[in-house]
Amino acid sequence: MSQAVQIKRVPEARSKSPLFWLPFGAGGMLFALFGPGLILITGLMAPTGIGIPESFMSYAHARAFAENPLGKLILLAVIALAFWHGAERIFLTLKDMKAGTIPPLKMGTYGVAAAATVLTLIVLLVI
Amino acid sequence: MSERRPYRRPMPSNWWWAPGPYRAYTIRELTGVAIVIYGAVLLAGLISLASGPSSYAGFLAFLKSPFSLLLHLVLLAAVVYHVKTWFETLPKTQPKIIVDGKPVPAEQITKYATMVAAGCSLALILLVMGVAR
Amino acid sequence: MPDAALAAKTVELRILRYRPASDERPSYESFHVPYSQEMSVLEALQSIKDTLDGSLSFRWSCRMAVCGSCGMMINGKPQLACSTFLRNLPPGPVTLEPLNNFPIERDLVVTVGDFVKKIESIYPYIIPKVPRTIEEGAYLQTPAQMAAYESFSDCINCMLCYAACPQFGENPDFIGPGAMALLQRYNGDSRDGGQRLRLDQIHGENGVWSCTAVGYCSEVCPKQVDPANAVNQNKTNSAFDFFLSFVRKA
Repeated sequence: MSQAVQIKRVPEARSKSPLFWLPFGAGGMLFALFGPGLILITGLMAPTGIGIPESFMSYAHARAFAENPLGKLILLAVIALAFWHGAERIFLTLKDMKAGTIPPLKMGTYGVAAAATVLTLIVLLVI
Repeated sequence: MSERRPYRRPMPSNWWWAPGPYRAYTIRELTGVAIVIYGAVLLAGLISLASGPSSYAGFLAFLKSPFSLLLHLVLLAAVVYHVKTWFETLPKTQPKIIVDGKPVPAEQITKYATMVAAGCSLALILLVMGVAR
Repeated sequence: MPDAALAAKTVELRILRYRPASDERPSYESFHVPYSQEMSVLEALQSIKDTLDGSLSFRWSCRMAVCGSCGMMINGKPQLACSTFLRNLPPGPVTLEPLNNFPIERDLVVTVGDFVKKIESIYPYIIPKVPRTIEEGAYLQTPAQMAAYESFSDCINCMLCYAACPQFGENPDFIGPGAMALLQRYNGDSRDGGQRLRLDQIHGENGVWSCTAVGYCSEVCPKQVDPANAVNQNKTNSAFDFFLSFVRKA
C-alpha cells in the first residue's frame, strides 16, 4: 500500500459577512412581501386619495401611529431594513464596478445604513 | 525544459454591464437603490412628523407633488422587479424540498412564493383601506 | 476568397491561440473547415487538427458530454464542444476561446490544478456518522433521502460554471460553484456526518461569501446540477453557523 495522501486543509478565517447578509436578507424578504403594497399606500394612494382617504396620513393619524409601540416597531423595521438591504446590494455592485477602495465603499453603504438606523431610533424615542 | 507560461486574461472592467446575465444581475442589484430611496422618504417623513405639524404639512405637500408621484411610480416598478427576482433566487438559498420522494422544481417554488407575496401586498392594502374608511 | 458554392459548405472557426514558447499573448486565428449538418464543434476542431494544423491544442475524451474535458467559450458562452452542434449556432464565424477566468496553458487548454485542490479541500467523500463493520451490513438510504443530494452527484467537473462566474474571475481563490456542488453532494447525504468539517472549510471570504448569487453558473451547467443552489443554501448554513458560533463559545 502506498502512503495515504496528506491534504493540507487550513480553514480560512471566518467571514463577518453574515452580519450584513442577515439584515440584507430580512429587508429583501420584507420588501418582496410588502414593498409594492407599502409604496402604493404611502406614495400613490394616500397622497392622491385614490382608494385611501387623504386623512389616512394626516398629522394626527401619523403621530398616533408613531407613538404606538407596535407602530414604532413597524417604522423601525421598514426604514432600517430598507437601508441595510440596499447597502449590501449597492456595496457589492460598487465593488463589481471597482468604484473605489473597500473602506470608503463600506462607509458610504453600511455606514449610511448604520447612521439611518440610529437616526430612526432616536426620532422614534423622542416622538 | 518546460515551456509552461500560463497566460491569465484580465477580466474586462465593465463585465457587470455585459449584455445578458451579467447586466440582468446588475439591474437586479440596483433595485436596492430604489428601496433605499423609499426608506429615505419614510425617514424624512418621520423626522418632519417629530418636528411638528407645519413641517409635516411640507412633507405631505411633497408627497402630493407630481415629482413625488412619478418617483413612487418608478420605485414601484423597481420593487416589482425586486419581487420577481427575489423569488427566482429564493429556491437557490434553501435545501431541496422533497415531496413524494421527488424534489419540488424551483419554478414551482418561485410561482407559489410570488403568489404569497402578491397576497401579502394586497392584504396590506385592503387592511389599510378598511382601517382608513 | 472562397466562392459562393464553397462558402455554403464550409464554416469559419475563429480560435484564440496561445503558444507559450513563441507567443507573447493570445491572438485569433481563423480556419475554414467543411461543414456538415451533424458536425459538433469538437469534430470541427478535430478536422482542423487532422488536416490543417496539427499543433492546435484542445482537451477531449468521451465525445458524449460525460467526461467534462472539452469545455470552452463558444461564441462567448461556456459550453461543451462535443454537445454543441454547428447547425444550432448562428450563421457566420464561430468564435472559440479557452474557458474564461482560467489561466491559459496553450490554445484552448486551461490550468485545472487550483480546481482540483479546491475539490480536495472539501472532504469529497462520505464521512460516516456512525462507522459500521462489514457484519453490520450496508448503510441504508430511502429514495427520498437520495433525492435530497442526487442531482449534485451528476457534476462532471467540466468547469463551465467557473467560466460563467464573474466573482471567480475577480477572485481566483473563491471556492466556486463546482466544488460547492460536490460539497453539497456529501453534506446532503443522510449517511454523512462531515458537515461540521466542510462548513469550516467554506466559512471565509474565499468560501461561500465571495458569491453574489449571479446565478449564471446554474444556467450553463450541462448536467443541470444547479451549483448556485449548492453555494447559496450553504451561505444560509454558514450564516446560521456564524451566529451559533457565539452560542457555542458561551
